Amino acid sequence: MSGGVDSSVAAGLLLEQGHEVVGATLKLWGGASDSGCCSVADVDDARRVAQMLGIDHHVFNYTEEFERHVVAPFVEAYAAGRSPNPCIECNRQIKFDLLFERARRLGFDAVATGHHAQVLARDGAHFLIRGADDQKDQSYVLGYLREDQLATLLLPIGAMHKSDVRRHAERLGLRTWDKPDSQDVCFIEASKGRGVFLRQRIELTPATIVDAASGEEIGATNSAELMTVGQRRGVLPARDGERRFVARVDLEARRVEVGRLEEILINEIALDESSLTFSHADLVDGSAILAQWSAHGVAKGATLRRGPSWRLELDAPARPVAAGQSVVFYRVSEPTIVEGAAIVAVS
Amino acid sequence: MSLYYFDHAASAPRRDEVADAMAPWTRGVVGNPSGAHKAARDARRAVEEARDEVAAFLGAKPGGVIFTGGGTESCDLAIAGVARHHRRTHETSEILISRIEHHAVTDAAQKMARDYDDVRVGYIDVDGDGVVDLDSLMSSLSDDTAIVSVMAANNETGVRQPLDGVSALAKSIIPGGVLTHTDAIAAASWVNLANLTATTDMISICAHKIGGPVNAGALILRGDVGLEAVIPGGGQERGRRGGTVDVAAAVGLAAAVRVTVRELAEVTDRVLDLQEKLVAAVSLIPGCRVTGLGALRVPGTVHVTFEDLASDELLFLLDQEGVCASAAASCSSGAADPSHVLAAMGVSHERARGSLRLSMGAETTDEDVDAVIAILSGVVYKLRAEA
Repeated sequence: MSGGVDSSVAAGLLLEQGHEVVGATLKLWGGASDSGCCSVADVDDARRVAQMLGIDHHVFNYTEEFERHVVAPFVEAYAAGRSPNPCIECNRQIKFDLLFERARRLGFDAVATGHHAQVLARDGAHFLIRGADDQKDQSYVLGYLREDQLATLLLPIGAMHKSDVRRHAERLGLRTWDKPDSQDVCFIEASKGRGVFLRQRIELTPATIVDAASGEEIGATNSAELMTVGQRRGVLPARDGERRFVARVDLEARRVEVGRLEEILINEIALDESSLTFSHADLVDGSAILAQWSAHGVAKGATLRRGPSWRLELDAPARPVAAGQSVVFYRVSEPTIVEGAAIVAVS
Repeated sequence: MSLYYFDHAASAPRRDEVADAMAPWTRGVVGNPSGAHKAARDARRAVEEARDEVAAFLGAKPGGVIFTGGGTESCDLAIAGVARHHRRTHETSEILISRIEHHAVTDAAQKMARDYDDVRVGYIDVDGDGVVDLDSLMSSLSDDTAIVSVMAANNETGVRQPLDGVSALAKSIIPGGVLTHTDAIAAASWVNLANLTATTDMISICAHKIGGPVNAGALILRGDVGLEAVIPGGGQERGRRGGTVDVAAAVGLAAAVRVTVRELAEVTDRVLDLQEKLVAAVSLIPGCRVTGLGALRVPGTVHVTFEDLASDELLFLLDQEGVCASAAASCSSGAADPSHVLAAMGVSHERARGSLRLSMGAETTDEDVDAVIAILSGVVYKLRAEA
């Protein structure tokens, strides 16, 4: 329970369905936060919701594990020129690993969360599918869940639109808890940004910005790590006045290559084999899938290739994707079903 | 489901006698004790009677008793009040505290050092049983030391501290002597505080750990202590703590002190037996280590650690069985944080994460202890079976 409306309603609905429900809030980050997640105030909100629902509430301290499994790897990845998604790692390593384990030890049958996604049981198997509200769908951040985890996961609001969730909140007397959704990374203060956080831990690399097509030096940055491949943000217009996109970041050479969109499009995405996870059945070389590589992106047609290393061949050229991001695979014939996920490798 | 209350060290059950004593001061007209009419005089008399009683409890003079809003405020007033007074006449002021002090003391000291460039904090080491190392104190004392603060008994482990030794060093090593403060909050239920703190200059106590109300405490000064108010407004308590004196709180603190003193010998004897029984039983649980076993401890507290179990999980399952206990170190969110006390004792991080404090009090029975032994053994077995 985060103290937000989704997990609050999830708890309330389970209670109405007759489950014996205990609320748990994870204390993950001990440092400064302004994102509306994991702070003392949020724990207080969650506790108050539990009191209003009449259920027990416990706070579990995973601060050290969060530092070890999420924050430290996040910083290391940036130092190595990758741009990871820490929320995915938190779900993978903390919420759906350590917490699931703990819940089992403490004698619980299932863990429920307020994510906008659904578990579909079919022929004895469990599939993760997109949430009913496509504006809020969070199946992407749960893409690494496997059958054994899905079998004990309840997602009570996954079949609802956000407006229905808010209506239930009002009906349950939780209408004061209509907090805005948290969007940002909980350990990075939105008012200060990634750069301020990373500079506390690593030295950022100055680099020259070079036009990929002409080789012409068109600018400089004092923090190449913050230049995210595929993004336009932070890149000054070149002499022709046209904006460029980041095509490649080479920390060792202290060089950031930029280019016009049509110059930098990619046709395939390299995948990190050790991260490759299949939700259910293993996909094989040549499997057609729909690939989504950002939380609110659109899934695009692709073919999974095994070759010497795993990669995705894209049906249509796309903007480059930063290494460290996750790609989630959806089924072509039933595009709401998650088939697996993998981290984008440095290509 | 029965409730087994083993968290006296967090807050002791309110005694009926205390509630009865406070009742007349919680409704209707209660004069402001600083006023000049009958209602004010009545209120003032109640406050001064309470002050006499608290002073007698510590063997101090009534004029040395400063009523505060609780234990944390008392400690803060001692630390910040002395440091602020000291830096008026010194270039550098050092606050010397043990590594196992409650956050009421450590946070007050660290805030002073943050706020003033000429204030710093020094730390006194403890041994493996959690007892302050007097050699460490001796080598830490300097001409800059403004105050030495060592608690009478630790709130997490219950381990008692050598206050006489602390005072002897503080008074003899540095010419003119250094002021001493003790946080006696965790010890107050279990010892003769007048004797134990006879050589200590300042003593912090609070009511809710001895059966009184929360938000009621006192800082007691022996003799002449240079102290600057932290809350100056209004000049109450002889200019040492501003704000209208809470009559009910003062009366409640005095009543709690009265009950404690009256029952001290009997309760201490009985709970010592319970502690012995509990320690013997938990020692039989494989992997369970009793903290501070080689040291003198207050009777009410049994602190243990498990290397292979997590406090969060132990407490959850104990709670399911009606046992109210604690990991002893907690943070503002309610989650258990790693304990600075255990770290100072050299307890491994893994063990510290498996801490459990069972704390007893006047109304704890033999049956309660039997029940908690059975439940704890079962919970540990269950967690290991599921691991």
